[in-house]
Amino acid sequence: MNTPNASRAPRTINEYLEQLRAALRGADPALVQDALYDAEEHLRAELADQPGRSEAEMLQKVVGSYGAPEEVAELYRDQEITIQRALRPPPPPKRRSLAGRFFGVAADPRTYGALFYMLLSLATGIFYFTWAVTGLSLSAGLSVLIIGLPFIVLFFGSVRALSLLEGRIVEAMLGMRMPRRSVYPEQGSTLMRRIGRMFTDVHTWTTLCYLWLMLPLGITYFTLAVTLLGVSLAFIAAPLALLFDRTAWGWLLADHLTVDWGFGPHVPSWGDALALCMIGIVLLFATLHLARALGRMHGHIAKHMLVPRAAS
Amino acid sequence: MDDVASQLKKFQKELAAGTVSLVLLAVLAQSRQPLYGYQIAKRLEELGDGVLAGKQSALYPVLRNLEGAGLLSSEVEPSVSGPPRRYYRITKPGRDVLRAWVAAWTATRDTVDQVLQGEL
Repeated sequence: MNTPNASRAPRTINEYLEQLRAALRGADPALVQDALYDAEEHLRAELADQPGRSEAEMLQKVVGSYGAPEEVAELYRDQEITIQRALRPPPPPKRRSLAGRFFGVAADPRTYGALFYMLLSLATGIFYFTWAVTGLSLSAGLSVLIIGLPFIVLFFGSVRALSLLEGRIVEAMLGMRMPRRSVYPEQGSTLMRRIGRMFTDVHTWTTLCYLWLMLPLGITYFTLAVTLLGVSLAFIAAPLALLFDRTAWGWLLADHLTVDWGFGPHVPSWGDALALCMIGIVLLFATLHLARALGRMHGHIAKHMLVPRAAS
Repeated sequence: MDDVASQLKKFQKELAAGTVSLVLLAVLAQSRQPLYGYQIAKRLEELGDGVLAGKQSALYPVLRNLEGAGLLSSEVEPSVSGPPRRYYRITKPGRDVLRAWVAAWTATRDTVDQVLQGEL
């Protein structure tokens, strides 16, 4: 392969990964993380397989079998297009008219994913927040004891696992491509240095921030979803309430019910009920729009806070 | 000449799109113990260049997709000598899917062979 970058053959695993990262520049950070993980796993296994060989010799052979960084990058890009196609539901037909665009949101599967995510985020938010705060305070408290350090390392490991889990949820419900593998554990340095890296790594802290942030966000999402859905469904059911009011069961409900649209109070009629129903329908679709927009926004938040930047 | 090479590369890529999944599933179905990516790559390397067209990096994304589809399951194990490894094993749905794929593959292969041998 006479690719422009092939002039400098990689001599160490880190050099190979650096070249792969460079070749993948501009690709989705989640894809970069997966590709680097796979390459590192393969190269380290190759190195461990034949202990007699030097790293440079091994890499020379690997460029032939695993592929040169540029070839691997190309392969992952191709693969990504296939994944994207499989991941994305067929795009809803483009609607031209204003009404079509407004009501078309109900046909978009992403809307319901986002709505479900909003409801779920209260539970996950409470869990993440509790985990992060408990872990951090216990880490701080135990740090004076001998078990402090192992505890901190365990806690940070669990934060990585949670970050991966949240990534899966976000990808499934919000359709944002997230990594399927965590960052490959650093090799070839002392244990203390690796622990030190954990603390200085910005990504660790943005992940913790995200876990913490999920409580207020989760409460907000849940409240918005439940309130708006509840109000719009109640409005839509207004004619039904009036029907009961007119029948023999009416005495069960409030007798002296009056409405006031600003023109003075009067006993509710069918016109009032229908108007309320219309408002309810519009509100319901507006809620769906809001859910889809919030879902998209949250996907970007998750991507920025949970996936390390490719350039770092 | 260069044109033939590029056409070959394109064809290999298209062929690999389906066969790599089939082969990986079959390898894991036949194996008694779970395998990790590098092991599978080496086993296929012994057979020659047939499936992966010499590029073992194609293996990992496919393994991940198969796992995503629930056909494989995986777990990471720290190894005594060397890096942590991700071991894959086939799942029950994976075996069912493999059976259907093998039938489809056999039918395709027989038909293609017949056409290539001029038995049309």
